[in-house]
Amino acid sequence: MPSSENAACVELKFPCKPEFVGVARLAILGVASRMKFSYDEVEDVRLAVGEACTTSVEWAERNGKTGSDITLRSEIDADKLVVDILDEAGDRGDDGRAGDAEQEPENLGALLITLLVDEVTVVPRNGGTHVRMVKYARTR
Amino acid sequence: METRTVESELPIIELEGEVDVYTAPQLKQQMISLLESGAKELVVDLTKVDYLDSTALGVLIGGLKRMRERDGNMALVCPSPRIRRVFEITGLDKIFDIFNTPEEATESMGKETE
Repeated sequence: MPSSENAACVELKFPCKPEFVGVARLAILGVASRMKFSYDEVEDVRLAVGEACTTSVEWAERNGKTGSDITLRSEIDADKLVVDILDEAGDRGDDGRAGDAEQEPENLGALLITLLVDEVTVVPRNGGTHVRMVKYARTR
Repeated sequence: METRTVESELPIIELEGEVDVYTAPQLKQQMISLLESGAKELVVDLTKVDYLDSTALGVLIGGLKRMRERDGNMALVCPSPRIRRVFEITGLDKIFDIFNTPEEATESMGKETE
């Protein structure tokens, strides 16, 4: 549901598997290129979406949900891009566990996301997780 | 992702393309083989890499850790500002020795072992 009347929505549904994360990155690269983003900001969005999808894929593998799908929904507004990543990868358990980047690469992924986009929220949904990221276009 | 291991006194892993959740396991496998063959030093060349994510960073961190455990070291070659930025924003540029050319990387290794 677009939050503003002028927003355009692009939605992509793909298998929650490692080989499809690159497809999501390509799609969001196209979407972000339509925004008034700098080259670096487009890269930021691509990396953040890649990381969010990677986390979904890792949880799907852990929870035996590799047959599920990820829905990538982006809402293009004049001043911001809102990206929703909805998975059915099962429960992520307790967040905030300590661990190093090698054992818990998703910690590094989560760090990257927070550094790359302006807002990020992660909420459990029925059978999975909903990650919402917002990146604002700087008005120059 | 393409990988190529250059057979020399100092092993160099050359990566090409996207190193992500799909392809990083290949890199991990290659590092494990090198470690099993007794390598203490390694150069990972990211010159031809156009995308690198946290999964790849995790594998590189693991490799560095293992090399250092055996008093060795690992150096990265990363001339691309876009790829280098991923190391910078995560602070990993302070942990890895990052060089612009394979020559600089291998030279740094030589100095450390002498």
